[in-house]
Amino acid sequence: MSSANAQQQNPRAGEPVDRDTHFAVERFLIREARLLDQERLHEWLAMLTPDIRYRLPVQEVRYRKDQKPIGSATGTNIYDDDYRLLEMRVKRMDTGLVWFEDPKSVARRLITNIDAEWSARADEVDVYSTFLVYRNRRQRDEAWLVGCREDRLRLTDAGWKLADRTILLDQRVVLDKNLHVFI
Amino acid sequence: MLKPDELILEDGALQHRSIFWDEAIYEQELKHIFARAWLFLTHESLIPNPGDYNTTRMGEDNVIVIRQDDGSIRAFINSCRHRGNTVCHADAGNTQRFTCTYHGWAYDRTGALVGVPLEKESWFGTLDKARWGLRPVAQVASYKGLVFGTFDAGAPPLEDYLGDMRWYVDSFLDVPGGIELIGPPMKSILNCNWKTPTENFGGDDYHFGWTHAAGVAVIGGPLQGLSGNVPLPPEVGFQVGSKYGHCFGFIEQAAAGLQMLDEWRTEYARWLAARTPVMQERVGALRARLYNGHWNASFFPNCSFLYGTSTFKVWQPRGPRQLEVYTWTLVEKEMPQELKDILHRSNIAAFGTAGMLESDDGENFEECTQTNRGYMTRQDYYYTGMGVGHEGPRPDMPGVVSEVLMAETGIRNFYRSWARMMRGTPWQDVDVAATAPLARLRSV
Repeated sequence: MSSANAQQQNPRAGEPVDRDTHFAVERFLIREARLLDQERLHEWLAMLTPDIRYRLPVQEVRYRKDQKPIGSATGTNIYDDDYRLLEMRVKRMDTGLVWFEDPKSVARRLITNIDAEWSARADEVDVYSTFLVYRNRRQRDEAWLVGCREDRLRLTDAGWKLADRTILLDQRVVLDKNLHVFI
Repeated sequence: MLKPDELILEDGALQHRSIFWDEAIYEQELKHIFARAWLFLTHESLIPNPGDYNTTRMGEDNVIVIRQDDGSIRAFINSCRHRGNTVCHADAGNTQRFTCTYHGWAYDRTGALVGVPLEKESWFGTLDKARWGLRPVAQVASYKGLVFGTFDAGAPPLEDYLGDMRWYVDSFLDVPGGIELIGPPMKSILNCNWKTPTENFGGDDYHFGWTHAAGVAVIGGPLQGLSGNVPLPPEVGFQVGSKYGHCFGFIEQAAAGLQMLDEWRTEYARWLAARTPVMQERVGALRARLYNGHWNASFFPNCSFLYGTSTFKVWQPRGPRQLEVYTWTLVEKEMPQELKDILHRSNIAAFGTAGMLESDDGENFEECTQTNRGYMTRQDYYYTGMGVGHEGPRPDMPGVVSEVLMAETGIRNFYRSWARMMRGTPWQDVDVAATAPLARLRSV
């Protein structure tokens, strides 16, 4: 698909995608989860577009009538990564000097409730999914993370790629020592 | 249980392991430290307008911190005086009043009880509303925007409590326009004792090159050479302990060193270079050097920051074996928005909940506490004697200062203050120079 065509406004924006497209994006997410579970991080990087934004915003607890942030509280993202930062995280693991990942930890990703709509651009789809990530380290250190993701997948010459991800984690206080895990 | 005098020995170098585990000692900490010391509450920039509030904790006590109509700031225990229910369930917001969800008692911004359902019909007009306002935090004060509170009406003024530490922190708090914190804070838990990360941030440069070897190696820049605990020339930095237990470590010319990307380091370094002549005028040449350095620091008892890396944290205790950490980003108010965004993103990528350096620390901190589950394991002391005899007062800087960067000077200072506070020592006797040995107080 040429980029001129790709970036045209998609008249179907917001409508559910067709069955073949849905099948393709669902396979994409499930394959991605498996690669991450298996710590195949460089193969995961290859599934991302160079202009990816990967975010996990802090969701403050506020009263329904009082949603406007105050003062300098303009927003915080626990992940606010572009490709360079994601690649840095992977290279950090490559050093073999991340002591707490040796012995390695386990993360098991269950991805479900996948829904996909045509996006504004003709070559992109908006994909919604929910996740349950189980983490286990050493003897009995464990954590359960539940939430949803809002992704934008782009069809490139090399197939589908992840161009944008917003992760909504359903915990105000993260009930673990870190979120050192790609979701 | 050991007596207080047996818990900390050798002027802070020996800490009995039970102080990181024991419930009874923790209850004493809540009484003697968290109910007395000045504790960080918020930054003025987070609640700029009348009615803006944050909720937070002081020890295990939930509190509301709210901007008053006259611009001052007050804080209250977040618990209804009637039956004890929480009166504010939000992290932050703006309000005229807090209304309890149990029976509808309502409190205004000053904490006064202003609304009681059926006040005439069933209280028969006899309820003394003035007596049943929200319980105030005894003292709330701001030091150059940083807002602290203490439950102790007899605690020394905040400026005295910060003591010598003010001389140091003024080297960045006194920038034109001051500083601000960017929120909302990240919050996460650590299954460790609250003192462990506080002493780490305040006085442990020793761990940096080893614990964070991987991150330091891939971030690059001037601190890359520290990966793997290499020996350093003495002039690279030092540790400081100041009275009341505040402590910090300083690395020369490294303020921008832990920005995560080269271009971010360049942007921040450009800002610092442009600001330096102004800071030389405001705080003098020596402290303008501090302005350009990187600091790890802790205000006693549980508030830490990394100046340069721009992280600002509070370690909220939750029993002796768990804490909640709140993390904000510290920036200069007059920085352009693009630079604030850079520092915010970089801080998060380094020391946020998913931070590449933060995650290195968590496992260590937790194990340092959890190994003490073993009864025999905890019949012992930890030892931070690094640099004993190679520290002391200096003519040009207050507090006790180490000869070299890698020294446990600040950690010993932290535990000397901890021991004094835990004995229930009166404030005038806690107020001793950082170099004063513990034994001097034992005789009091």
